[in-house]
Amino acid sequence: MHDLYARESARLLGVAKRIVRSDALAEDIVHDAFIKIWTRAGTFDPARGTARGWIFSVTRHLALNFMRDNAHIVQVSEQSENAVLAEAALDVATEADTFEYRARSGRVYGCLEQLEPARRNCILHAYVDGYSHTEIAQKVGAPLGTVKAWIKRSLVALRECMG
Amino acid sequence: MTRYPSTDSADELDALASEYVLGTLPAEQRLEVQNRLATDADLRTAVDAWEGRLLALTELAEPHTPGPRLWSRIERSLNSHEHRAPAQTLAGKSHSWWDLLPLWRGLAGAGLVATLLLGSMLLTRTAPINPTTYLVVLVAPQNQAPGWVIQASNPEEIQLIPLGATQVPTDKALQFWTKADGWQGPVSLGLVKPGQSLSIPVNKLPPLQPNQLFELTLENPAGSPTGKPTGPIQFIGRAVKVI
Repeated sequence: MHDLYARESARLLGVAKRIVRSDALAEDIVHDAFIKIWTRAGTFDPARGTARGWIFSVTRHLALNFMRDNAHIVQVSEQSENAVLAEAALDVATEADTFEYRARSGRVYGCLEQLEPARRNCILHAYVDGYSHTEIAQKVGAPLGTVKAWIKRSLVALRECMG
Repeated sequence: MTRYPSTDSADELDALASEYVLGTLPAEQRLEVQNRLATDADLRTAVDAWEGRLLALTELAEPHTPGPRLWSRIERSLNSHEHRAPAQTLAGKSHSWWDLLPLWRGLAGAGLVATLLLGSMLLTRTAPINPTTYLVVLVAPQNQAPGWVIQASNPEEIQLIPLGATQVPTDKALQFWTKADGWQGPVSLGLVKPGQSLSIPVNKLPPLQPNQLFELTLENPAGSPTGKPTGPIQFIGRAVKVI
């Protein structure tokens, strides 16, 4: 277990911290993830994917559950909505990529390349930042319905591209 | 809104799986998916495929070395559990229910609740005319947290007592079901308001049996359209005779 921790804890903590946006909370998530991995190790089925992938999934979903279950609290603490909107307007105006996704290996990056930048950003804000539809809409400065449709279609496109 | 396996087309199932893995499902739908994953193999396959497709994106979160205390904290937590599962079981050796922490946690919690309830009943009961015959602790299937208690103190009616606030999406309702061994299927005992005690006449039903199943599922506001549970199980438990 310590080997696993030594190898992956920094990455796992990075993934959790990005989503829960707090060092202390992220450490709680990684703690809980390791306990869950330990107690559920027997339920892991290699046919369902890699052990490493499973560990990242457990961590991400614990972090996402925390954010969704506490959505009302998070919204209250996010007072700088106007600032976000202003920043978002800028993003859209420049159609800039918010993520350094290029020069990464992995098939998903090649397929992301084929999406329009605004849609790509939606997918990455959702997966990497753990943003909800509403948060993404604020961040990219697009209507909520548009963002939902973009994400839906982008996922279909990714599936077709990746198989 | 309500999705259940028979009505999901393959595309809908895949869309649900993809948004679950991406993280954009709202809390109640996430919970629904997580409950379904235990029993719905198609959904599980779709989710696993999406986990695999998107895993490489975790590289975009910059690594963050944890403080020195995190490992000792994890170690302490691990040591306070059973030591039966060496890390090598990640490779696929199977575990028994004996090692399931949530199960024992849940059973301990349920036991505590039952003890408190029985204790308080002993204290408050002056003349035991109708001794309680059955008790059911309903727990959440995911984390085994006790949520409701059912008390059957006479053959005419049972009482459903909440142990805390239960969150139900505004467009959903909790429906109460029971099924004894040998019954064709679950029988509805009606809709339940979260956080409210409820007395339900059961004189139309056969007498309660040991091990009789009770559950609360999430359904449309008017109740399940089919007369059988269709939504995810929120709480579940079996009757024990307490005498």
